[in-house]
Amino acid sequence: MIEPIALQSTVGTVRFWAIVLLLGLGVFFTLVSTVGVLRLPDIYARAHTASQTDTLGAGFALAGVAVAFGWQHAAVYTVLLLFFVFITNPTAAHAIARSAAETGVEPVLTEENAAEPEASAERDVPTETDGETQ
Amino acid sequence: MAANRLLVPLSDTVTVRQTVGYAVQSGLEEADSLECHLVVALPYDGDVPEGDQQLEDAEGLLSRARNWVEEDAGDADVTIETATIGADEYLFGPRDYAEIFDAYADEHGIDRVIIDPEYQPGVTAQLLQPLERELERIGLAYDEAPVERSARHSRLAGGTEDFDRLFATFLISYGFYLVLGDPTYWFDLLTGAAVAGITAISLARVTFTVPLDRVQSPIRVVRFVFYIPYLLWEIVKANIAVSAVILRPSMPIEPSLTRVNTRVRSGLPLTALANSITLTPGTLTVRANNQQLLVHTLIPAARDDLFDGGLEKGIRFVFYGRESAAIPSPRERDDAEIVGGEEL
Amino acid sequence: MTPTSLENVFLVAAGLFVVLAIAMFYRAVVGPTTQDRLLAVNVLGTNTVVILALLAAGLDQSWFLDVALIYALLNFLMSIAISKFTVERGGVL
Repeated sequence: MIEPIALQSTVGTVRFWAIVLLLGLGVFFTLVSTVGVLRLPDIYARAHTASQTDTLGAGFALAGVAVAFGWQHAAVYTVLLLFFVFITNPTAAHAIARSAAETGVEPVLTEENAAEPEASAERDVPTETDGETQ
Repeated sequence: MAANRLLVPLSDTVTVRQTVGYAVQSGLEEADSLECHLVVALPYDGDVPEGDQQLEDAEGLLSRARNWVEEDAGDADVTIETATIGADEYLFGPRDYAEIFDAYADEHGIDRVIIDPEYQPGVTAQLLQPLERELERIGLAYDEAPVERSARHSRLAGGTEDFDRLFATFLISYGFYLVLGDPTYWFDLLTGAAVAGITAISLARVTFTVPLDRVQSPIRVVRFVFYIPYLLWEIVKANIAVSAVILRPSMPIEPSLTRVNTRVRSGLPLTALANSITLTPGTLTVRANNQQLLVHTLIPAARDDLFDGGLEKGIRFVFYGRESAAIPSPRERDDAEIVGGEEL
Repeated sequence: MTPTSLENVFLVAAGLFVVLAIAMFYRAVVGPTTQDRLLAVNVLGTNTVVILALLAAGLDQSWFLDVALIYALLNFLMSIAISKFTVERGGVL
């Protein structure tokens, strides 16, 4: 348990804007990642941009939180949280990509999708492959 | 009666002596003369820094085993053949081992394989059960040597190795507990010690499958700390490149599958490399087999970075030291190629 | 700067993350493959962790970080378990 600690109410102007900048960058990279996951044509391409949320999106936002807490126990906690996200998420992303490969989801490669990745997504990606191995 | 030909794969275990003894005894029961093939399967190619050391260890083990066989055979008619196999190919799973044993057996007309119950080549986890399954699949006759299990885990170095593992696991879990709790509160200190003790006893062997090295392991941790800023810098660069591509309305992506033969050992180093590659946006490890990584890349810039092997050099620096980091990039040594979707 | 404005910054950021999470929900619903949904849910989980951390700062409840930590671990386990489950003989990892 962490003792409830009031946010340091006297954060300086520099620190305030640093926090705003960090949170802004965090939101920006998560936005890019969300756009990517919605736009990109197949599961493998989406996994790339999903790792943007895990790295810089979460990284900047949690860094902002840590700066706000200052030199306290809660900041150590936040860093630990970030460390966990960094360790576990690539493993999870790899597991998902590999499970897609094993269930026979074909990747959309450059030769196949020339102009309209969105349209080719509907054609190339097979629908539900329920645990079917190759 | 024709000579009985036996294949005995050796590895440095507690029970290897008893296995050799059993092989000689059972072989001589069935036939008058025995041809005993002692082999050591080397898990890696000589390219890895530890390669030479492993070759030496293998030679030592083989000469010891030859003496054992001569000792057990006495006056009986026993021919001994020794060999190291697999040095020129990647050996990873039990299937690879079963296959090279089968190839060897075919070549030398082997009747039966005698397996050490603790057979454990290299640093991989024990693989007796999967190995037996693979041998059955291939149809190679095998026999598990009956050994006294009481000697298990008590080899000479076992004492300090076990202590190292227990100590390291204890330290990690205690540290984690105290970060979550309050390091100045006596109750947390006490319960933390108890919990970390239980964790260490029950999970030390699961956490560290490879024996720890008292000098090397802490150095690796320190080097890893130096590796983190470099990894973060690569991640930031890749993030910006990928963001620029995704946010452009035309979205000029060029997804491709590539295969890279890495020069890092299976296990923790390969895991670290594969995770670093996945963590960098633009490259995603789809499969990691042996030392081969199948990597999906989103944009040409990310593919070039991958082929330049910056992360691979970093991981080699972490695990093998500064000298080992200076190797040619995968592109230069022709270990990277773009493959089609059928490789999945 | 008054402390209230800093707390508001955190709450606004948390709100933006919620909006992005809802957008991500589209991919979880549409799919088309199981892995697409799984990936979307995994990213949603990371977003949730970040939202919890932002709320911990914004609402001044630092015990929210405990919840975030457990959520991060469960999120990881869920991804691994479901990917393993979708492959018939459990060959993943």
